[in-house]
Amino acid sequence: MESPHSVTNVAAIWQQGMARRRFLKWSLLGSAGVVAVAAGGFAFLRRSPLDEQPVPEWATGLSAAEYHLFDRARQVLLPVEGTRLTPSDQVPVVRNVQALLDNLDPEIRKEMATGLGLFDNAAVLSHGRRFVDLSDADSCAYFDSWGHASVIQRTLVTVIKQLTYTAYWQESATWAPTDFDGPVSDKWGLAYLGNAPLPANDALGTNQPEGRA
Amino acid sequence: MSETITATTTSSAKWQATGLAVHQASDVTDTNIEIQADVVIVGSGAGGAVSAYELARRGFKVVVLEAGAYVPSKDFTERFSESLGTLYQDHGAQTNSSGDLLVLQGACVGGSTVVNGCVCFRTPDFILQDWQRDFGLSDLTTAELTPYFEEVEKNLSVDDNGEHEIPHHSRLIRAGANRLGWSVKPLKRNIRQCGLTGHCLSGCKTERKQSMLVTYLPWAAAHGAQIYADTRVDKILTENGKASGVNATVTHRDGTVAARMTVTAPRVVVAAGAVQTPLLMLKSALGNRSGQVGKNFACHPSLYVPARYPEPVYPWRGALLGVYVDEFMPLEKGGFILEDGGSGLVELTMGAEPGTGKPFMAYMENAKYLGGLVTLIHDHNVGTVEWNGERKKIDYQLSDMDFPSMQRALKAAARLHLASGAEEVYVPASDHRVIRSEADIDTMVDSLENQPQHLRMVSYHPQGTCRMGVDPDNSVVGSDGQSHDVPGLYVADASVLPTSIIVNPQITVYALATRIARQMT
Repeated sequence: MESPHSVTNVAAIWQQGMARRRFLKWSLLGSAGVVAVAAGGFAFLRRSPLDEQPVPEWATGLSAAEYHLFDRARQVLLPVEGTRLTPSDQVPVVRNVQALLDNLDPEIRKEMATGLGLFDNAAVLSHGRRFVDLSDADSCAYFDSWGHASVIQRTLVTVIKQLTYTAYWQESATWAPTDFDGPVSDKWGLAYLGNAPLPANDALGTNQPEGRA
Repeated sequence: MSETITATTTSSAKWQATGLAVHQASDVTDTNIEIQADVVIVGSGAGGAVSAYELARRGFKVVVLEAGAYVPSKDFTERFSESLGTLYQDHGAQTNSSGDLLVLQGACVGGSTVVNGCVCFRTPDFILQDWQRDFGLSDLTTAELTPYFEEVEKNLSVDDNGEHEIPHHSRLIRAGANRLGWSVKPLKRNIRQCGLTGHCLSGCKTERKQSMLVTYLPWAAAHGAQIYADTRVDKILTENGKASGVNATVTHRDGTVAARMTVTAPRVVVAAGAVQTPLLMLKSALGNRSGQVGKNFACHPSLYVPARYPEPVYPWRGALLGVYVDEFMPLEKGGFILEDGGSGLVELTMGAEPGTGKPFMAYMENAKYLGGLVTLIHDHNVGTVEWNGERKKIDYQLSDMDFPSMQRALKAAARLHLASGAEEVYVPASDHRVIRSEADIDTMVDSLENQPQHLRMVSYHPQGTCRMGVDPDNSVVGSDGQSHDVPGLYVADASVLPTSIIVNPQITVYALATRIARQMT
């Protein structure tokens, strides 16, 4: 029996949500990463109670679905129970994700939206509900299953994880529990050395031809 | 409104102790700028800065155009994620087309030299021999290049790491290598009085790294070179088949155009790096009779292999890079090196991941116990850089020829970690692989597949896309850096390297750029 995470089924999901859109390509952009599929958004395969929830006023660079997806990813990927770590709800994770996405080329950002929609909706096929509505255990399993699946799926989970991780760990509020020092030069009072002096042989040697200025 | 400027030169050097005189978009008052010069240099990194100094000190009127911003050292934040946004190409998001290889390049005044790890190697002899044999570069011998290496090393304060610059994690690795009987050495770095902050990749705030920002660029400026930031060259111009200048656009940081610029000059030196240089050549439809522009992309795809030690090693403390293992550098022994590397928290999240959710957070909670090794392999020149009319495309996948080298390097890194006392080694793959003993190594590494998005690779060393050679039919420039096709057009960056060189390439680029500039008439 074909896995619900197979490329065929993921493509089928994508087709349902992407009527009249044409598959172009996938790519990942660096630490933030981008999944590129095609222009446009993604029609929901199943509604979520979160669809009715408001999003913060600052979330102007994310669709409501993207906001809820990354907020759910924050909860699933950054659990701190039983650790000394800073709870992720005390850190502007999703806001930082938005800032990372703001750096992207607009065309790629648009394509990214489709990839995120795919990730959210493809869970309907395997779990009967969207990613944002999965339990913590199912969410982790969903991430892991995609991490072992097709190139497309591996790309997507890498993107979402990397954005979420970076958005959390870049915040100084997360550093103290790990003893990470953060910026130190000013704290240590290191002197600025300025420019290096001109080389000792700055004057032209015999083997260095003069110009024709 | 239009302004015409003649680049000036000074009769005697006027060196300034701090900062750099740079024209920026915010300074622009005219929408059209025309400049006349003897040489226009595209890019202010390793190749561009050295070219600028060498030519300016000879009395040429030099203009340097840099697409990136001017970020003074005092503005470096020592926050890696912020630095990716302000100092790196594509805000740190430049990758190959399948997205599994992050290609990190500086995109600021000073280029990649601002954000590199300071590691310095001369071009290995056997690499030069390959170039002589396969590309006819008979003049690029060790004897010929040694004076250039010595000179740039002296200029940039290159020296072996002192014992105080070998951080705790490096000392463990050194001891492990000694137990295995492997050759291990302190790295050479271009640095003065290292502050041991570990923040090299975010720029050296207190100007200890001898990047182009505090060396060759101010030296070039002292000899009259004019440096323009925020200025992207759109096209190389020719007249009667010879290079005659460039067209460029000056852009504000919000993306709006500040001015159009034309620089008229009989010499154009392209030194924008091994991605941007071929793109400019392709956009200009110049210098590509061989069809090799943008081809032969290599990049030393590297893995950061972390491991957990029983004691805190604080990977962010001390010099970023301490020692390296060259036991396997000869091709017959593997063709790779291992460099002990530090890391901050954000950087750690980019590599291995021992699990989703709780396992990952437990891993990060104990980050101070993580030491890391960087693998560098001698990859084949199998990639391409293309321009499709709207955007660039870097097509590069680790070739099946090179995948065994990557596996051997990964195995050696795991073995070295274990010999150094590590309890767990984390394989930087998309699935979760942990090595706890020698017996695990083959199982965990041999089962890796050479598929996109399976390994989490980073490249700091793109090269090869305008390769040097004597045959105009299969190379782009000669050993003097000049285009085979367009007199007056030069390339002086890592694009010209005919093969990958295994080691960090900055010294090679400095030396070749010096040589190219000295031969220029």
